[in-house]
Parts: sequence; structure tokens; C-alpha cells
Amino acid sequence: MKENRIRILYIDDEVHNLNAFKASFRRSYEIYTANSAQEGKQLLKSIDVHIIIADQKMPVSTGVEFFNEIKDILPDPMRILLTGYTDVEDIIDAINKGHIFSYIKKPWDEHELHRTIQNAFEIYATRKQLKEKIIELEKINDELNRFIYSTSHDLRSPLMSVLGIINLSRLDNSVTDPNGYLNMIEVCIQKLDGFIQKIIEYYRNSRLDVEYEKINFDHLLNECISQFKHQNTAIEFQVTVDQPVDFKGDTFRISVILNNLISNAVKYQKPDEVHPKVNMAVKVEPHKATLVISDNGIGILSEHLNNIFKMFFRSKNNNKPGSGIGLYIVKEALNKIGGTINVESKYGEGTQFEISIPNRNDFDS
Amino acid sequence: MISIPDLRVILIDDNEVDLLLHEKLIAIQQISRTVLAFNNANKALEFLSSNITLPRIPPTVILLDIQMPEMDGFDFLEAFDSYPAKIKSQCHVIMVSSSLDYSDISRTYANPMVVKLLKKPLLAKELTSAVAEIFKDFS
Repeated sequence: MKENRIRILYIDDEVHNLNAFKASFRRSYEIYTANSAQEGKQLLKSIDVHIIIADQKMPVSTGVEFFNEIKDILPDPMRILLTGYTDVEDIIDAINKGHIFSYIKKPWDEHELHRTIQNAFEIYATRKQLKEKIIELEKINDELNRFIYSTSHDLRSPLMSVLGIINLSRLDNSVTDPNGYLNMIEVCIQKLDGFIQKIIEYYRNSRLDVEYEKINFDHLLNECISQFKHQNTAIEFQVTVDQPVDFKGDTFRISVILNNLISNAVKYQKPDEVHPKVNMAVKVEPHKATLVISDNGIGILSEHLNNIFKMFFRSKNNNKPGSGIGLYIVKEALNKIGGTINVESKYGEGTQFEISIPNRNDFDS
Repeated sequence: MISIPDLRVILIDDNEVDLLLHEKLIAIQQISRTVLAFNNANKALEFLSSNITLPRIPPTVILLDIQMPEMDGFDFLEAFDSYPAKIKSQCHVIMVSSSLDYSDISRTYANPMVVKLLKKPLLAKELTSAVAEIFKDFS
């Protein structure tokens, strides 16, 4: 059994047909023959064929009956029915019950049969490739899911232990650390953890199904602010929510968007600013919500504005730590929920992001 | 400081460093003088079933890690659910995890036996107030 040749099983009760078939095609294909459906079934147990050709009119079991019988155990091989009669009932049966690929009249035309075999094999090979690709994709998908899970646990767990040790050493005062090395370790660990969290956020955004639920912006914004407030206690946060109608949207993605934008507004403040401010305004309408987040921070150089949503882009003229992935995630999350974002910024004066998110409230859909 | 005299804390975590950290935290915060540490959930279950013969089960806080090999935190809860009410009613489970996995977080809150989920690293303040919250009606 050679691997690269097309393997064909031909079943016919007339031995001279079998011989004639072999004589014409044995140079092109690997041919197995059987003179009854019964014998054909036996052969199929040991040989993996690509194409099965069967004569319709055979004693005991007809070609269609044979195909119908094997279709569940052997769905893959392509089926070709040969017959001397053109009975419409047979053709209908062949297609519906036998799942045949083609129907060829006896006596066969050699070229036609060649072509039919080639076409059948092409379909067989394509289907097989498709199946293999699907299995491969399912495997990769599964691995990716496990990777995300293990990133969120196995990588973070030892980091959290280190932070725990640092916290404990401060509680029991057991480490003399006049140069503040522990603080430096803590800052580094938090930076590393921040990056891991961004990676998880990115994957979760790209893989999680979008789910719509009611959102209270006042609540959501205050939750976000409470996460970042402690990083710079001088900042004055101002929240204006105009929400006269219900809003439905994807909570996970909207909070990812807000978290990243508010985190940036807090992080990129001018060090010498006396009144650092972050303003958030939300306006909910029946078909959309518009969110404006603005700050009086360091701003973005105009030549960088086109690049800020690109993965791993980082503005070079600031000394702030960043992964360059935050705004990219914002953009990706907005793509998932059909939102848009606009940015206006003046270097040295501040930045304003305006987001528009469709309202998935029931009235609308 | 928590003033439940016979309060005991059971720690279940496969990570030895975290076990030690949590034990120290409990000592420094004076939450309890009795801390039992298990690095595998099965051993903790065995211990709890041996408690059945005690005339009185002391009030117990269980700090339960989520991700552990063999038997994880959720498996533990499932097995523990079949324990007699006499033991269960005295045990208060606080889950502890470094996980950011959404499904883990929602599973934690969906479980009626869990009173709270705390993130690692465990902070002294958070742990103390979580335990105080459990026993607020007792004192």
C-alpha cells in the first residue's frame, strides 16, 4: 500500500468488468476489487480506501444498499455508483441514501471515469485537510485557554508571595533596610504584575463572548476611581453622569476601557501641577452612550497621536513606566462592542478622550 | 484583635511560603492562637472529620486557597458540603487566591459556604476585618 497513490475499491458481480477496470486503471491508481458487497465490506475492514466504486445491479445487495449500509461506519471515502440502467428511483436513492458523489453509466468512458476519480479525490483530500485543521485549531484554542489560566495563576502566585513577604517584613519590623531596597523590590514586582494583568486583559477581551447587561455609569466610574485614587491623592476627580434612560452593554469591556483611560489620566500628570484634575462626563441616550475623559496632564505630542493605539507603542519623551499595551486594549475592546474613540491632546496642557458606545437596550434591538 | 477565645484558623494552601505568611499575619494581628496549616485539602478534610467526636466544635475560620493540585478549593467545598451540620455550622470559609480569572471569582461568590474572597497578598487589615465581620454578632 503506497501512501501517495489514490486507493480505489471497485465492487462488481461481473468478473470481466473487474478485470477490465484493473487493466485500464492499475497504472494510475492502487486498485482493490470485490465481486460482492459482502466481500467489499470484508476488504474495507483491513484497507483504508479513498474512493469506492460500486455496481448498482448485484445479487443479494445492490450498490445503493451497500453504500447506505457503510455510510455510518465509513463516512469518509467518496462513493461512485456504476450502472447500466438509468432508473430515476435508483438515482434518487443513490443520492439520498447512499450519499454518492457521482453516478456513472455503463459501459464507462475511460476519460470521464478518470476525471470523476480525480475530482472525487480532490474533495476527499480537501475534506480531510479541513478536518485536520479543525482538530489542530481546537487544540491550539484549548492550549491558549490553559495558557491564560496558568498565566493568571502560576505566574502571579509567586509574585503575590513576594509582596506578602514584603508586607510582613514591614509589619514585624524584622528587616533593617535603611536604603529602601524593599520598596524598590515592591515597585518592580508591581510593575511586572501590572504587565501580566494587561496580558490577561488582552486575551480575555479577544476571547470572551460579548454579554450585555444593565450598567450604572455612576457606580462603574466610582469603582474605577477608587482603584487609582491612592496613586495620586492630589488629583481632583469630577464625575458628571447624565443617564435618563437605561444602558445595556458589556460590563467587562467597558470597565477595561475605563480602567485603562483613568489609569493613564492619573499616571500622566504633570509633576508640578498644583491642581491636577481628571474629569469624566457620561451622557446616555437611547441608542448610545458618550463618555468624555479629560485631564490637565502632560498631554501627547501631536506626532504621536496617530500611534497611541498601536500595540507596544510608548511615547519616548516621558519617564513614566508603561507597557504600551493599555490603549491598544482599549481600542480592541471598543472594536468588540462596536464603539469608537477620539482623542484630542495638547502637549503640556492635557488630553481628552471621547468614546461612543452603542446602547444595547431592548428598545433599540 | 479578635476576642473570640477559642477561635481557631485552618489554613489550606499548597504554597508553603503563603502558609507561613498567613500564619505569621494571624499571630501579629492576634486573630487566633490556634492555627492549623495543611498543604493539601485532603489532609484538612481528614482532620475535620476527626472533629466529629469532639463534644463541642470550636468556632473555625478556614482560609482556603483556590488553585491547588489534586483537590482544589472548589473540590474541597464540594466534599465538605456533605459533612454533618454540627461541624459545618461552626466553620466559616474565606477563600484566598491570586487568581484574576473571572469564572473563579464568580464561582466563589456563588458558593453559599464562602463568606468572602480575599486576594493575595493577604493584607493584615483586610484579614482582620473579614474575620471580625464573621463574628460581629457573637461579641
